[in-house]
Amino acid sequence: MLVVKEVSKQYGDFTALRDIQLEFETGLYGLLAPNGAGKTTLIKMLATLLYPTKGEVLYNGNNIIDMDSCYRELLGYLPQHFGYYKNYSPKQYLLYLSALKGISKKEALPKIIELLDKVALGDVMNKKMKKFSGGMVQRVGIAQALLNDPKILILDEPTAGLDPKERARFRNLLTDLARSRLVIVSTHIVSDIESIANEIIMIKNQQILYKDSVETICGTLDGAVFETSMEFEQLESFRQNYVLLSEKQEYGKMIVRFIHKETPLVDWLPVQPQLEDVFLYEYRDETNGTGQ
Amino acid sequence: MYECRKVIQSPIFLGLFLLFSVYNIYLIVSSSDHKEELKIVNELIDTYGRDISDTSLAQLDQDIQKEMTQLKRSAGLEFQSVHELLENMSLEEQEAYSQEQWNQIQQLAVKEMYFNTARSIDESYAEIDIQATGEGEVRMYGLSGSAAFYLLQEYEKLDKRFEELVKNGEQKQWFFAGKAYFMHSFLFQTVFRHIIIESLLLIVLATALITAYEFEQKTQLLIFSTKRGRKLMKDKFSASIAIALFTMIFLLGITLGTFFIVFDYSHVWSTSISSAFNWEYNFPYIAWWDISVGTFLWLAAGIVLAGGLLISCLTFALATVVKNSYIAFAGISLFFVAVLLLPSFMSKSSILFFITGYNLSQLLLGISNSFMGGGLTGSRNYEWLTVSCWTLIAAGICFVAYRRFTKTDIG
Repeated sequence: MLVVKEVSKQYGDFTALRDIQLEFETGLYGLLAPNGAGKTTLIKMLATLLYPTKGEVLYNGNNIIDMDSCYRELLGYLPQHFGYYKNYSPKQYLLYLSALKGISKKEALPKIIELLDKVALGDVMNKKMKKFSGGMVQRVGIAQALLNDPKILILDEPTAGLDPKERARFRNLLTDLARSRLVIVSTHIVSDIESIANEIIMIKNQQILYKDSVETICGTLDGAVFETSMEFEQLESFRQNYVLLSEKQEYGKMIVRFIHKETPLVDWLPVQPQLEDVFLYEYRDETNGTGQ
Repeated sequence: MYECRKVIQSPIFLGLFLLFSVYNIYLIVSSSDHKEELKIVNELIDTYGRDISDTSLAQLDQDIQKEMTQLKRSAGLEFQSVHELLENMSLEEQEAYSQEQWNQIQQLAVKEMYFNTARSIDESYAEIDIQATGEGEVRMYGLSGSAAFYLLQEYEKLDKRFEELVKNGEQKQWFFAGKAYFMHSFLFQTVFRHIIIESLLLIVLATALITAYEFEQKTQLLIFSTKRGRKLMKDKFSASIAIALFTMIFLLGITLGTFFIVFDYSHVWSTSISSAFNWEYNFPYIAWWDISVGTFLWLAAGIVLAGGLLISCLTFALATVVKNSYIAFAGISLFFVAVLLLPSFMSKSSILFFITGYNLSQLLLGISNSFMGGGLTGSRNYEWLTVSCWTLIAAGICFVAYRRFTKTDIG
């Protein structure tokens, strides 16, 4: 369906992505990497906002740049940071975006009402967006991405600003949508996609690290994740010797989760690796940045 | 329409438009103290016809004499001309007249002034030496070499046109006395210059706002990833042109509407713009063609529209590249001033001194002298060549800016 073929992206001397090779079919793909790893660069190339320095992106064998509006007609895209017209209501804003997506007003109006209801904004569809919270604006963004019933839905950090209840609802919505289309969700929040993604794509050092199911990726740490408890005073020396994944205090003791790939000690409790464990392990040396 | 709405809903744009309209109305109304006197020309045209002939002048003279006799009788005074009467009149004597008598004296004085001017047209025009004026200009601007040669050639052509004008009798048509009321300068210099500067401010503001809107509202990622994509810039271009056109039409409409309500031009539309009465300063207005006041007004409005649209195109191109309305506004303002001053940086012996004068700033700010001979921008082809050249330049720049935008990353 959608193929990223040996794509590289450079900004001057800086290489954001190198020789990316990916294939997407119908289903939900989670693009997981820390901030600054190149997720947004990849997504913007899929949305034709950025042009690859090398390589090409193909949709059913055709270059998406050459397809131009024929490709974007199939696309629903929610950027990580998107502005809005403060004096517009969600209805007015979506009507404008519908026009740009080539949808007639007559066709767009019922769709807008349906989508705003779906993202729980039906009762404020005529209110000016300048009074909206971050979560409400994000929900308008989600609604606009679905306006043209896209074949390819690309969402960049879609859960930013959403509360836990909204996140849960959003996950259900995504699962539903991914049954009949390609959905790519970029995030650095593992829990957003862990339970719903058919495949996870991880980017490291400007290249694809993994593109596999959650189970297979977690399997790379099989038998290497443990939990143990210790006194607080022992924690510092433990940190020096092992890759810690999490620490929590319980009944006056520290419970730590960590990676160890050699023979374990007897009092360590082996645990099932989670996607977050892989994420923390793989990106343990990376510092969080803000740029993409 | 969606793109136009972005400007129409802008309080700054609407506020400025309103402010400029009100100011223009104030400017016209506050300068209208002589509007009643202007009506005398309409009376003259009604009574004696538009063209000034020996017969019509003799008739006018006869009528003035009749009115003067009546005045002498009612005032019990003896004088040769109304001018002489007014010059020797003390304030006390003036107060002795009734308002009606005073109005009659004033009207007669104006008629006498028109008569005297009309009578001296042949004499005044016989004294005009176009070639000598050209040589004077060369000396005044310190021109030499090909620049001096070019200007003298232009004056040579103007001399021929002047002879033709005199032969046609274009100068012998009634119009508001230039040296007394300066109506041509007031309309085409003061009023039009206000309209031009205000229109340009609004146009540059509106075009820059529309073009850079998505980048300033940070909606560019959403908007340019829709089906319309980067082609939206074509819509923005059309919207900018439409807004520019409507802004100028409305501003011209409101301002000129007020002007012609206040000043009655109803009888002078067909008068030649080269009328001897339209002689305000040292040199009369000598149009390259036999055009009437009405036609000149349409042509001037056409230049304003063309210039405004071209400035809108240039603003669009700059805003497409810089993606910021403030920088685009400042850039175009700088450009406008720079090209205005450009000829002064050229060698006065080079033809470049004249070529660089073929620019939009000089064309628009010198609108009162459009289609007229004489001066540095008085070439017969100046207006259409300037508009044509800048249309090509603007079209080229817009095309390059758009092509560049379609190939640029949107971050």
